[in-house]
Amino acid sequence: MPLAYSLPSNLSPATVTNTSSLLRIISLALISGAAIASRLFAVINFESIIHEFDPWFNYRATRVLAEKGFYAFWNWFDHTAWYPLGRVVGGTIYPGLMATSGVIYNVLHALNLPVDIRNICVLLAPGFSALTAWSTYMFTKEMKDESAGLLAAAFIGIAPGYISRSVAGSYDNEAIAIFLLMFTFYSWIKALKTGSAFFGTLTALFYFYMVAAWGGYAFITNMIPLHALTLILMGRFSSRLYVAYSSWYAIGTLASMQVPFVGFQPVRTSEHMAALGVFGLLQIVAFAELVRAHVSSKQFQSILFGSVIGIGLLGALAFGGLTYKGWIAPWTGRFYSLWDTGYAKKYIPIIASVSEHQPTAWPSFFMDLQFLIFLFPAGVVLCFRELRDEHVFVIIYAVVASYFAGVMVRLMLTLTPVVCVAAAVAFSSLLDTYIDPVEPEASDAAASPAEGTSAAGAAAAASDAGSSKKAKKAAAPDPGVASGILAAVAPSGSGPKSRGIFGLDTRGLVVFNALGMLLFFVLHCTYVTSSAYSSPSVVLASTNPDGSQHIIDDFREAYYWLRQNTPEDAVVMSWWDYGYQIAGMADRPTLVDNNTWNNTHIATVGKAMSSSEEVAYPILRKHDVDYVLVIFGGLIGYSGDDINKFLWMVRIAQGVWPEEIQEPNYFTPKGEYRIDDAAPATMKNSLMYKMSYYRFAELFGGNQAVDRVRGQQVPKTGPTLDYLDEAFTSENWIVRIYQVKKEDPLGRDLKAANAFANGKKRKKSKPLSRRRAVA
Amino acid sequence: MLLLPLLALLSLPFCLAAISAESAHEKLVKLAASNNGLIKLDDSLYGLLTHPKRTWSASVHLTAMDPRRRCTPCKEFDPSFSAVAKAWTHVPQAQRDTHFFATADFDNAMGTFQKLGLQSAPVVHIHLAAEGDRRPASGRSAPIVYDFSNGFDAGPLAEQLSAYTPVAIPYKAPIDFAKYGTAAGVALIILSGIRFFLPILRSRWAWAAGTVLTSLVMTAGFMFVRIRGMPASGANGQWIAPGYQNQYGQEVQVVSFVYGLLSAAFLMLTLVTPYQTHSSRQRLQVYLWSGVIFVMFSVLISLFRVKNRGYPFKLLL
Amino acid sequence: MPATKTAPPAKKAGSSPLLSLWKAYNETTSTRLKTIDSFLVFLMLSGIVQFLYCILITNFPFNAFLAGFASCVGQFVLTASLRAQVNPANRNEFKEVSPERAFADFALGSIVLHFFVYNFLG
Repeated sequence: MPLAYSLPSNLSPATVTNTSSLLRIISLALISGAAIASRLFAVINFESIIHEFDPWFNYRATRVLAEKGFYAFWNWFDHTAWYPLGRVVGGTIYPGLMATSGVIYNVLHALNLPVDIRNICVLLAPGFSALTAWSTYMFTKEMKDESAGLLAAAFIGIAPGYISRSVAGSYDNEAIAIFLLMFTFYSWIKALKTGSAFFGTLTALFYFYMVAAWGGYAFITNMIPLHALTLILMGRFSSRLYVAYSSWYAIGTLASMQVPFVGFQPVRTSEHMAALGVFGLLQIVAFAELVRAHVSSKQFQSILFGSVIGIGLLGALAFGGLTYKGWIAPWTGRFYSLWDTGYAKKYIPIIASVSEHQPTAWPSFFMDLQFLIFLFPAGVVLCFRELRDEHVFVIIYAVVASYFAGVMVRLMLTLTPVVCVAAAVAFSSLLDTYIDPVEPEASDAAASPAEGTSAAGAAAAASDAGSSKKAKKAAAPDPGVASGILAAVAPSGSGPKSRGIFGLDTRGLVVFNALGMLLFFVLHCTYVTSSAYSSPSVVLASTNPDGSQHIIDDFREAYYWLRQNTPEDAVVMSWWDYGYQIAGMADRPTLVDNNTWNNTHIATVGKAMSSSEEVAYPILRKHDVDYVLVIFGGLIGYSGDDINKFLWMVRIAQGVWPEEIQEPNYFTPKGEYRIDDAAPATMKNSLMYKMSYYRFAELFGGNQAVDRVRGQQVPKTGPTLDYLDEAFTSENWIVRIYQVKKEDPLGRDLKAANAFANGKKRKKSKPLSRRRAVA
Repeated sequence: MLLLPLLALLSLPFCLAAISAESAHEKLVKLAASNNGLIKLDDSLYGLLTHPKRTWSASVHLTAMDPRRRCTPCKEFDPSFSAVAKAWTHVPQAQRDTHFFATADFDNAMGTFQKLGLQSAPVVHIHLAAEGDRRPASGRSAPIVYDFSNGFDAGPLAEQLSAYTPVAIPYKAPIDFAKYGTAAGVALIILSGIRFFLPILRSRWAWAAGTVLTSLVMTAGFMFVRIRGMPASGANGQWIAPGYQNQYGQEVQVVSFVYGLLSAAFLMLTLVTPYQTHSSRQRLQVYLWSGVIFVMFSVLISLFRVKNRGYPFKLLL
Repeated sequence: MPATKTAPPAKKAGSSPLLSLWKAYNETTSTRLKTIDSFLVFLMLSGIVQFLYCILITNFPFNAFLAGFASCVGQFVLTASLRAQVNPANRNEFKEVSPERAFADFALGSIVLHFFVYNFLG
């Protein structure tokens, strides 16, 4: 039994086990630390602040929960959102996230640790990423072994695909949802492996937590039935499957209906019917199995088989009939748009307009997963090689998630865990093979492969933890590549093991190569996280010529201006993207926000923005709008501004008022989107255009004004505003706030009044407007 | 202020030339009936159809079907418009004669195109009634431009035009017999050959190949190309689309090939090479596959650097 | 649900296979399992009654109906799981679940289930 390098022989097996388990714990702790630390770039570069848009609402709701208690939060009716409709918050959110931080807040305060609720919210996502790493470790351990588990934990800890949604400050549902997803899957696999109702119940409980936390729970609702169905079709039905699935479904479904936002959906909508169908099928199959155990008559068994199929068909027919009669709601639009990819653009432009709902190009995959993305298919192949029940799960997950991630950028999040798991399986198989010190018998030394010695080699290899499992592959007598493939692919043969690596240099090369890739991965993740995923988007950063960082804080400047200078009930109109931020930071009522539940209301705002002042003014007055807020990036080149989103406003408004708003009118006859002199009249007269470029040209003195985002020259004589007054413009002009004039006290048309004022007292007009703005 | 009389002056010959609205209507009804509900326009007929005192509405399709104009979208869209116009002929006469479908080809109605200042085709204008009880409340006389964002299909066209017709256009997409036929045929072949397909269905490696191919293609951005309708390659033969959130169809093939090769190299190292019992051949294989991994990874990184110019790392290339 | 499933074979194959099934069941099943089976039959009947009530009379407090029905179905499958786990014929399938462990699992599952049922009754 030759060894490539010598191993210490004076260690007892107990010492080896103890040391390895200690090392595992230490590595897990280090991985958790790395996972948390790598998410803190945002806090270090900027400050402890809530990011983006949705998190601001979650933060606001959590503050209500922390200050007023759970019941007040549960019954919270938000008057300030969707003015004048209001919003029942308790029934329209997934409360899991807020409840989690509320519990943490209360526990810490009970321990006399007076932590600010904001810091809990900011640091919740990094904290949970450590738990995700741990649950991925547990999940992968079930797939292969502990070493693969550690690799998977390390991968998911720093993979940018997951970091993108869980940096410090990104206080969103996904922050805790991925942990719940992985843990639910882990307990499902465990329940399936052991056939224990305890793990089934645990799956159901975590499923409940997941339902309470994220709308993506439908992924679990369909993954587990799909797995169960595949196992049945593969002829792998077992009582363990029955126990695991039934206990999960019976408890989990009932539990999921406790969440008000979900309500009766689990028994009423098509998304959940697959789970119900598989549940029914399992009952039938289980009963048939039971009867078969008692009766051996051939005829009876065939009748039983027929009746099982018959009942299955009947169930499918009943499902179709119920859908047809309207008892079961058909697929919802959001779900449907995953299959028919053109659907959303046609019928639900709001969903199509969100940038994270766009399809994914390959650079995004590579950016988010780097070398894991090509290890992932290798891991899937390795799963096929063993194909235990739990490997079937990973395979299904891999196919489904890679499709979904291709359709929608945001679903990259669900792909990341399975990529990490599969890649870890592949990577650790590689390392197992090349670190294993046992050398096989060389066939060029002996004329014929000596069966006896290689059997001894296999026995010796059993002492090494990872390698013993692979001892079941048959050896090929002919040392060609083709037969090697055959040997690797063929189902386990009978011969003793004769696989292994010769020499130290080969081992060294492969292991060095592998370590290099890991190192590169770490560098890549650090770079991507720090450069791409750690900007709060509330605070922007640019680099000064000398390389130092320059902070652009226009959003907060403007929101605090609103908070300080406007009456508390002043209604602010803006595009829906900024609704949550205005509510969270400025604390003012908004017309629409990111909870896009009322398409007509959003279309009203879109119409006001995209029509002329005369048309928009009655709309503004009817909705009691006091201030209009627009985002304008033309001065400093901030590309996410309202002019770039303008076409979506037009499109959404067109969906409701096709006669009044038409998208082609906002393009030049050549079909270009322009804001310079060549812009069409509809565009130039629209409220959005006017508010964005109002007095913009003056900023350039006599020179030609240039919009730095569009790269076009702005007309020298800018638009005039008759019905609005400029109230506030932030330092870099990113946020511009306009006050809506009240009706003219003399009963004149505001346009006429303005013309009168301008004609009479041209010189006084400017100071006048400024004074009004301050008032 | 000078513009208004000028306009009036310009339209004067039109008004004089034009017959009264009633007789124009009769003529249009006849023309429509003679050609499957579709009126072929020239410059004078266009004036007739968009009569300033029209009591009818009209959908005017402005196109350029002559092969010399090389307008492929026109060719794609033309059948859809004709089909919708034909569907309109099935409406009861009372409503049918209040809305017309017309096509103006560039080569027959050059004056109209010039007057409208059109530089691209196809375009669909919807002229609302200017007089009578179907006159819109807004009194809008300028044509509404049809929005092609839903593609060139007849279904959405009929759906959107129905908003301007007195009754909805009874357009039904023709049943695609060819599609159903091939589907049924394929199903039949599979069913009859189930004996031969069953081993494939039962073979785990067939499934493995399917699974791996699917995930390779998906992670190479196949769905992006399909949903966005990206071309296989760009103009002047470049096959890498510039920009981070963008790609061409050929990139899917190249990237999935690179991924597949890297994946295969890893699998070779893990599964196949250890079975090689000839030590020198095994060494050769290990070096070969490690080299493949290193080189292909460098190629991949350099591809990525093309897409994402700020990326600071590189290997060989 | 098992009752409905036995119906079609009964019609086609006559009563003799059913009789032999009953006989085989009586002979090979231990008393312990029979107790569980009688509980299962009770749960099934109770579920059927509730379902009929919902269809024929009213489903008005829908959550109350769902809670009641789900408690029957849930208890049924948990008990069926217990039956599968303690069945000596399945010994080699449930290597890690001893009968005592199975009962503890069953108790835990039932408590959780009925906690949600209670919460859902409204």
